[in-house]
Amino acid sequence: MNLRLTNKQINIIEKANPFLIVSTVVAFTLGLYFSLLQSPPDYIQGDSMRIMYIHVPSAWFALMAYTILAGSSVLWFITRNPIFSIIARSIAQIGMIFTLISLVTGSIWGKPTWGVWWVWDARLTSMLLLFFLYLAYIFLWQSIINKDLASKISAALAIVGFVNIPIIKFSVDWWNTLHQPATISKLSSPSIDISMMVPLFIMTLATFLFLITVFFIRLRIEILDNKILRIREVK
Amino acid sequence: MFALLKRDLYLALFSSSSFFYTSSFFVLVLIILPFLFGTNDVQLQVLFKGIIWIGLSLSILLTMDRIFNADYEDGNLDIIFQQNPSLETIIISKYITHWIVYCLPLFIVLPILSFLFYVSLDNFFLIFLNLFFGSLGMVFIVTFVSALTLGAKRTIFLKAIIVIPLFVPFLIFGTNLESWPILLALSMMSFVLSMYVSAYGLRLYVE
Amino acid sequence: MNELKIEDLTCYRGENLVLKDLNTKLKSGETLVIRGSNGSGKTTFLRVLSNFIKSYKGKILFNDQNVLEDSYYRYSFNFIGQKNSLKDNLSVKNNLRLWEIIYQKKISYSKILEEFNITHLIERDVTSLSDGQKKCISLLRLNFTESKIWYLDEPFVYLDEENSQKLIQKIKNFNNNNGIVIITSNINLQNTFTNEIKI
Repeated sequence: MNLRLTNKQINIIEKANPFLIVSTVVAFTLGLYFSLLQSPPDYIQGDSMRIMYIHVPSAWFALMAYTILAGSSVLWFITRNPIFSIIARSIAQIGMIFTLISLVTGSIWGKPTWGVWWVWDARLTSMLLLFFLYLAYIFLWQSIINKDLASKISAALAIVGFVNIPIIKFSVDWWNTLHQPATISKLSSPSIDISMMVPLFIMTLATFLFLITVFFIRLRIEILDNKILRIREVK
Repeated sequence: MFALLKRDLYLALFSSSSFFYTSSFFVLVLIILPFLFGTNDVQLQVLFKGIIWIGLSLSILLTMDRIFNADYEDGNLDIIFQQNPSLETIIISKYITHWIVYCLPLFIVLPILSFLFYVSLDNFFLIFLNLFFGSLGMVFIVTFVSALTLGAKRTIFLKAIIVIPLFVPFLIFGTNLESWPILLALSMMSFVLSMYVSAYGLRLYVE
Repeated sequence: MNELKIEDLTCYRGENLVLKDLNTKLKSGETLVIRGSNGSGKTTFLRVLSNFIKSYKGKILFNDQNVLEDSYYRYSFNFIGQKNSLKDNLSVKNNLRLWEIIYQKKISYSKILEEFNITHLIERDVTSLSDGQKKCISLLRLNFTESKIWYLDEPFVYLDEENSQKLIQKIKNFNNNNGIVIITSNINLQNTFTNEIKI
């Protein structure tokens, strides 16, 4: 790999970092202020629905992260530029954490709403499977010692997983309509009041900034790791 | 291609993975049902439809190291590559062997099992069709995962984590009696995917 | 007469340069010994020659035809790697039978086992054999093909004095029948085979 190129990339990342951290903190402060204090409680669910402001953005970004993972794997196949393999790896761990956050917050939200911590709802189940797709990707990467080979193999797995997501989603939805009374899945209300839209929007932005910040930090670690690996190999 | 097929079947026979063993495995997985859940025949019928898929998944999954890993580790894969001009024939031959050795015995004992679990004749045919088309797709999936993970540390659990989410659609539709056309479609999709990915995986490891 | 020509062979594994500008030419009846320390690329070289590794610079020509384009080349060599290609849980006889199927050639087991005086092992499980015995059986694969070239990766490892002599004799016989042999080795074979390159 071209080492000078990565030095430049690291420089950009290092310069962007403080700015990103500050804007994440500001956005979260604003977002939490709006979502916890400024917005009205839900007329059915009360205050418990406020967890939505964390749950929904993290679920969105969990899915987005897998799209980025698959996209950069495809780009890696086309260009064979190691930076795409590094991007894929960095985003995978973040995506897994976001999936976990959305699962945990979903479960906490479920307790007051459904009376139980876990419901075999189509969305939750799909998220759970997504979590294992991330896990498989990360474990596979770690279990192959030859890292050149590992990036080739895990890129293929990422794409296979991406092809499978719609199939899994379709079958889980189908399964859910078969086994579940329809009332539960309708609880997540289809229409959102404008007073909830504002905090949701700010929290989404904040979560996105958080994702980018962590992503850049991870990216930097991975690039440095990669460099160490190369230097060791040359020696 | 037929040489490889014949060799793999003989290998299975010599290593005592013969029909008798695999069939007994399926029977044993299912006869623990009454011990676990009692002898209520309606309940048993429902459970039977599900557990038979667990038996099939386990049989395909736990033996997946024999598809490519064993040959890769002892060096036989080199001979196979040298003797077979195309990767596609190797892969197809491996599908057939794995299906014959680890799925076909299930279909042989299926009539007896259905009889033991009070399954009606109509349902028997539907279960049979489901299992048939489902098992094809599941074999395609383990084959490509096995080809991809040739260089990974040899842990069946890692492979299970990769494979089981991919099995989920098969299991969901498999337990529903009238969905064999969907299973057929799923199997065809996994065939296409599997051919590409297995060839890619193998090509990486010969090098 | 057969001729194997290697022109400017350069091969990278990942980022590492393994083989650099190798040039050599071998005619029927010749044996080449490749010497080099551990990890110097001897095995890679044989795997390149056997068409397993296809990404390299330079050319390998067998009878003036590029081996990458020659679809019959695969039938003209036999590669015996360091892995012994034996199934541990099977008997020697069953292992031979599996090779028989895959190489599509009938063979008299007792005759080939006699080469290394191991006829008595035929019913034994491979697990119960010593490394040297496994190596001998692995070398029996040379009898399963009608090849013009042998690629032998470290064939003398684990072999005792007596069996080494038998193998050398076998290689010389093959040479006399116009065979080309390429051997990799850690040990010095200068007294036996004069043609040697270091990598």
